[in-house]
Amino acid sequence: MKTIEFKQLDETLYYKKLPNGLDVYILPKKGFSKTFVTFTTKYGSIDRTFVPIGESEAITVPDGIAHFLEHKMFEKEDGDVFQQFSESGASANAFTSFTRTAYLFSATDNIYKSTETLLNFVQEPYFTEKTVNKEKGIIGQEITMYDDQADWRLYFGAIENMYHNHPVKIDIAGTIESIDKITADHLYTCYNTFYHPSNMLLFVVGAIDPTEMMSFIEDNQNKKEFPEPTPIERQFEKEPTDVAVKERELKMDVQKPKVYVGLKAKETDLSGEAMLKHELSVQIALECLYGRASDFYTDVYENGLIDESFAYDFSLEKGYGFALIGSDSSNPDQLAQKIKEVINNAENLLTSDSVERVKRKKIGFYLRALNSMEFIANQFTRYEFNEMNLFDAVPVIEKLTLQDVVEALKTIQGEPQQTVFKVLPSSERAE
Amino acid sequence: MTIGGIFLFLSTQLAEGVNLHIRQTTQFKTVSFSIKFRAPLDQKMAAERAVLSNVLQHSNGKFKKSAEFRSYLDDLFGTVLYFDASKKGSEHTLLLNVETVNDQYLQKNKVFNEVLDLINTAIFEPNFENGTFVPSIVEREKEMVIQRIQSIFDDKTRYAQYRLTQILRPNHPASISANGTLETVKEITPESLTKTYQSMINEDRVDIYVVGDIDVEAVQKKLTEALPFKDRTPKQITKDTNESKPEKEYTKEQQDMKQGKLHIGFSTPVRFGDEDYAKMQIFNGIFGGYAHSKLFMNVREKESLAYYASSSYHSQYGLVYVVSGIEPSNEKKATDVIKEQLEAMKNGEITELELTQTKAMLVNQLKETLDLARGQIEIYDQYKDLGETFSVDTWKERWNNVTKEDVQKMASQIELEAIYFLCGKEA
Repeated sequence: MKTIEFKQLDETLYYKKLPNGLDVYILPKKGFSKTFVTFTTKYGSIDRTFVPIGESEAITVPDGIAHFLEHKMFEKEDGDVFQQFSESGASANAFTSFTRTAYLFSATDNIYKSTETLLNFVQEPYFTEKTVNKEKGIIGQEITMYDDQADWRLYFGAIENMYHNHPVKIDIAGTIESIDKITADHLYTCYNTFYHPSNMLLFVVGAIDPTEMMSFIEDNQNKKEFPEPTPIERQFEKEPTDVAVKERELKMDVQKPKVYVGLKAKETDLSGEAMLKHELSVQIALECLYGRASDFYTDVYENGLIDESFAYDFSLEKGYGFALIGSDSSNPDQLAQKIKEVINNAENLLTSDSVERVKRKKIGFYLRALNSMEFIANQFTRYEFNEMNLFDAVPVIEKLTLQDVVEALKTIQGEPQQTVFKVLPSSERAE
Repeated sequence: MTIGGIFLFLSTQLAEGVNLHIRQTTQFKTVSFSIKFRAPLDQKMAAERAVLSNVLQHSNGKFKKSAEFRSYLDDLFGTVLYFDASKKGSEHTLLLNVETVNDQYLQKNKVFNEVLDLINTAIFEPNFENGTFVPSIVEREKEMVIQRIQSIFDDKTRYAQYRLTQILRPNHPASISANGTLETVKEITPESLTKTYQSMINEDRVDIYVVGDIDVEAVQKKLTEALPFKDRTPKQITKDTNESKPEKEYTKEQQDMKQGKLHIGFSTPVRFGDEDYAKMQIFNGIFGGYAHSKLFMNVREKESLAYYASSSYHSQYGLVYVVSGIEPSNEKKATDVIKEQLEAMKNGEITELELTQTKAMLVNQLKETLDLARGQIEIYDQYKDLGETFSVDTWKERWNNVTKEDVQKMASQIELEAIYFLCGKEA
């Protein structure tokens, strides 16, 4: 077992790569009664074209399958796994993102029992045509729920505008039509390819003894047999750097228009510390330009172009990346115009004073976030899958300069990389 | 420190009606403050205080421009400072929450004393112009609160819940929003808001919480200086009388949407602090509070009718809400399955497993909440009024003592009062 100390943060992380390839990280937390455990596979909605384990030809599976698989992991021959977690007083959950599927629980008692439940249910698939078909009604309602959410439609509308080919533009849950095609065989193919321990990471944070927990996990894993790990071959079509659609709108039953300006990232091939430095730089640039202390914010606030829904965010993974900036607004076109003016003129707006101020804010953010076990476990996993280390964030921020921030921003700055998506009130609404 | 699950806050009185509660702990990398101003809840005051919290958040006498205020907070290592409006029972709470990094994790700078000064400024040095709040800021923040109220219409789940409470308990604290209404917000003037501010400072009941790795005596002393509140006799907050009844038992409304939102309101005579409160918590857990509950297992897992189907117990008002998102054509079936679950509980169809699971989940939920600084503040704040020392062990024992018969009795007291169904136009 390796020990990694983060002196300034007063944290010690324990790590071991098990013989079956599973990466296990344990972070003990003093003074807490809770333990939070995540078991994550590097497999998300974008992994739709790949070579199945043991085969040589790539296949494309129906959209929404990673999420469907996540749902179906909870059902076993002898019933629902939630029942077991509840009996131990553990809150269990799972989520599927573009790049990851995570299974997790938090609890204050019976930690070993729930850890065992977690490891076993994720490593013992049970799919039948009957249970697969039954799930279609449940997920169908989940999809319908999102279809009615204007904010979700706005988010995906903007991403769809940006991407020509990349599957990040496909809704994580798929569509009613695409999930209808899913079979138990599909689920086994995806499971066997992506749920090998060597493609997974277990993170334990909380009130635990690291040595005891590590040997408990090892014992559990050593009892199981897995095939030799093989590299997974995922396939993606080439993606142009310019956006697919410059401007588009959707009518919905809302009272107030919503708008996002999307900025498509050119640099999506980084990993490790270079990626960490790059994404922190872009985030700091956006905060300087659009944050509550910016001239932009004062202007759009005083002119009534935004409300409390105003937000900006930058997402980056291997193969895709984008910034989204927007708000509910009675004048979405004017707001979009002003957002673009700022990005187009960013070199003149960024100053070392504002960069230094936002760096301090960001350091404070990371220190506050380290109170949250959920943040640590989820973010650590995401960072690790991109060969970055969460605990390096503060020292990397401390070293960033104005020049770094300006350079990083250039990768999302070009006019051909900009798109606008709006959700507008449908005209037939009766008042 | 935790002794037998007892969470110790050291309480002292800063002035009559103003209490300070401090908890020293090394658990967190930050220090959290929460200052709660309480007054009786009504539509007019809710609106005034919602806008007031926005205006105080915007600027103050020292930082007259919002951007200056925000820049200063950024410089203090992203110290989080926000005002908010909320409600509990018949009480409106305007609160100031502050969270700042503990100095020991910062390599050079020290920020704690500056944060204390800033709390004083944010509360006691408002941004006044000729004796009132600045009219242009008041107008902008009124607009912000109006947008916040209107945004409910664009979120179908929130809208359906809003409509159900309107129908279920008209003109009652249960249906009064902590933000007031569009009409009451529009009526606000800089003068009325200034009056509301003065009554908040001089008349509200005030509770101040601090949690973190701090020197208790030093913080007590510093806060006494930073928060020079005067004595006050806070207004008595009367419990709602529960005379409000639904206009009608079934309401269906339509919008341009795909999913059907089925929201059902039930009443129970049991409220927070009543002898049967622990039993009602178990009832709700088994009915629809968790993933092992009857609603989840039947509406979702067995019948595949919904992605979510759950119940929540609002103990301040004696209400239980059931919510589910369904295919509109399944409305009758879903309603029947929900009613059947309650009937089953009334008939005593409650297993030992369901009891064990629910008890374990309640204990876990409480202990997890106490792992958060905000959780410690909220739990202590809620339970301190019960006139007993709060401890996890006491509540664990109360839940463990609940029997199947107790839960059956709770179920038999539940009454369905209103069903609200929101769905698309063609359904």
